[in-house]
Amino acid sequence: MQDKPLVEVKKLQKNYGDTQVLKEIDGTVMPGQVICVIGPSGSGKSTFLRCLNMLEKPTAGQVLFEGKDTSKFSDEELTVLRERMGMVFQSFNLFPNLTVLDNLKLAPIRVKKMSDKDAEEEARSLLKRVGLEEKANVYPSSLSGGQAQRVAIARALAMDPEMLLFDEPTSALDPEMVGEVLAVMKELAEDGMTMVVVTHEMGFAREVANEVWFMADGYILEKNEPNELFNHPQNPRAQDFISKIIGN
Amino acid sequence: MKVKGRNILLTIMTLCLSLLFLFTIQPTHHTAYAADDSLQKIKDRGTIIMATSPDYPPYEFQVSKNGKSRIVGMDVDIMKQVAKDLGVKLEIKSMSYDSVLVAVETGKADVAMSGINPTAKRRQSVDFSEIYYNGGQSFLINKTDIGKYKNKAALAHKKIGAQTGTLQYNLAKSKIPGATVKGMDKNTDLVLALKTHKIDALGIETPSAEAYVKNDHDLAMIKSGYKLNKNETGSAMAFRKGSGTLAAAVNKSIDKIKAKHLTTQYLADAGKYMKVNTNNTSMIHYWNYFAKGIEYTLLISAISVIFGVLLGTILALMRFSKSKLLKAISVAYVEFVRGTPLMVQVMFVYFGVGIIVNLPALLSGIIAVSLNSGAYVEEIIRGGINSVDKGQTEASASLGLAKSDTMRFVVLPQALKNIWPALGNEFVSLVKESSIVSIIGVTDLIYQLNIVRADTYRGVMPVFIAMCIYFVMTFILTRVLNYFEGRMKHAR
Repeated sequence: MQDKPLVEVKKLQKNYGDTQVLKEIDGTVMPGQVICVIGPSGSGKSTFLRCLNMLEKPTAGQVLFEGKDTSKFSDEELTVLRERMGMVFQSFNLFPNLTVLDNLKLAPIRVKKMSDKDAEEEARSLLKRVGLEEKANVYPSSLSGGQAQRVAIARALAMDPEMLLFDEPTSALDPEMVGEVLAVMKELAEDGMTMVVVTHEMGFAREVANEVWFMADGYILEKNEPNELFNHPQNPRAQDFISKIIGN
Repeated sequence: MKVKGRNILLTIMTLCLSLLFLFTIQPTHHTAYAADDSLQKIKDRGTIIMATSPDYPPYEFQVSKNGKSRIVGMDVDIMKQVAKDLGVKLEIKSMSYDSVLVAVETGKADVAMSGINPTAKRRQSVDFSEIYYNGGQSFLINKTDIGKYKNKAALAHKKIGAQTGTLQYNLAKSKIPGATVKGMDKNTDLVLALKTHKIDALGIETPSAEAYVKNDHDLAMIKSGYKLNKNETGSAMAFRKGSGTLAAAVNKSIDKIKAKHLTTQYLADAGKYMKVNTNNTSMIHYWNYFAKGIEYTLLISAISVIFGVLLGTILALMRFSKSKLLKAISVAYVEFVRGTPLMVQVMFVYFGVGIIVNLPALLSGIIAVSLNSGAYVEEIIRGGINSVDKGQTEASASLGLAKSDTMRFVVLPQALKNIWPALGNEFVSLVKESSIVSIIGVTDLIYQLNIVRADTYRGVMPVFIAMCIYFVMTFILTRVLNYFEGRMKHAR
């Protein structure tokens, strides 16, 4: 990880009306890094993640992608940013009006101008990678939660991104389905994908993350390697949060 | 939020004001246009256009012969003579009685002829020819009441019916003490009201009264006994103000017709046609009337649905656009169209816009109904777009899809599925509401229905048939819509 940073966040602030959700966030994501963001609900984790690909516009501060200020991006540059930075949502957000295969093909064809044949080939190989090749022609409503989330990951991968954002990818799943999704994510991490993951899965964070960021009240209160952070949290809020999670 | 709301309100008010401005400016423009080319224009064109409401036998009514329907009657025969004298062809435009005078005022027709009495009030807005026929005034009553209502005096404090906007209506109001006057659009409805005792007598011109009595043995007539100024009670043709040359030429023909007593012959001919009509009053005999009505109703509905949906979609997309101007235009349009009756819009497109561009009645009707439907479809689509989960747009954006692609491939297909029942409802009401176009003379089902009622002197049966036809049409439409709804569900 000797390269230049992929993403740099500088004094990022985000307000909704009078409510300050992000007060001052700084952070750096290096290529190939896996960062897990943890913290109590309402601490601004999701908002932070959504500021990285400009689904939310920051109120103040900067998000730099390869050194360039994303808030000044034109529509075309924004499209390129989102091509290179995929996102996976808590509630999957598959397009219910399209088959699984078409969910995967839509963006490559419309955005990357890929041919239908190439897009289909790519889509099928991605479905194979997440173990769902037999579901290519069904509609999302017939998938289980775990299958839907794996399709959503495949859809994000179809754009061939360098980085993936995960917004609580397993929170909406029944417990028995969490494992299959985490397995796919772990595999991605092992292949060198840069990932920022907002999660409550401490086991996954401990095993896969290079760094864990603890967020509360709109600040990142502590950053450390997972074992350090989980075993010896320095910040009192982090100590409190981790003792509650691990204690249970 | 408040500022935004005010902007929209301002735009709406500006729109309304500019419309008002447009209206007030047009008529003055035309009265200022002084040179009288009324006769020359007709000769140049080679046709004289007559506006009439063919539900008033023996003056004008429709007959069908060999499957073809045409307008006949005394007025038509007189007008044919006039056209012959002028050396031009005659073209007849049929419309509701309320519309015939407007048609000459707005230049849709050269002459209005529909048994019109040239009252002082009407003389303020149009020019009249000489009186071409003076039929006199009568009352129709039920035969059973013949002993009760012997003359006008016996009708005091009773319920009198008359066609709205006619001389008979005004006379009943002013000359019968204490009478309650009930106005309706059509004599056929009034006769029905009389027969069901909703009114006690019906003020009507003597020739019409005679025709009804001849064709309906439950009815009888009495002389009105009104003392009237001859210049107001006869029938005359109406022209647009300032048509002196045309009026003079027409009056010459009328003088000739009067001198030769041609009207007697014309009335006798009309009587023959009425016999043809009333010989066979079974509804089967009139199937081609209804068929034509269905054809036009379906035509108007189908085209209006397509354009209504297109317009509604465009308006909805404008509503969601970033541009404040587009948004305001869309809001103002929807508010304005929803805030005014379809009937007024139909008349506005035909007569109002007709001052600038002369649109045929059918096209005017289709335009008005489409424009109207567009506003309602916009609201439905807007609701549909809002009903699509925000996560869908976000997921689409996170993949780098452009806003337009997101709309086209992700949001609209889902919105369509959600709004399908509401949209279907709009289609069904459109089929029914398109009936309004009959007032400008589009031969849709309602229009044909009224023709059949006037021809057969049967008030209820044609209505019942039309009701069944409408039901069958909307029922089939509903089935078709349900089929597609089912298919969309299946796709999920």
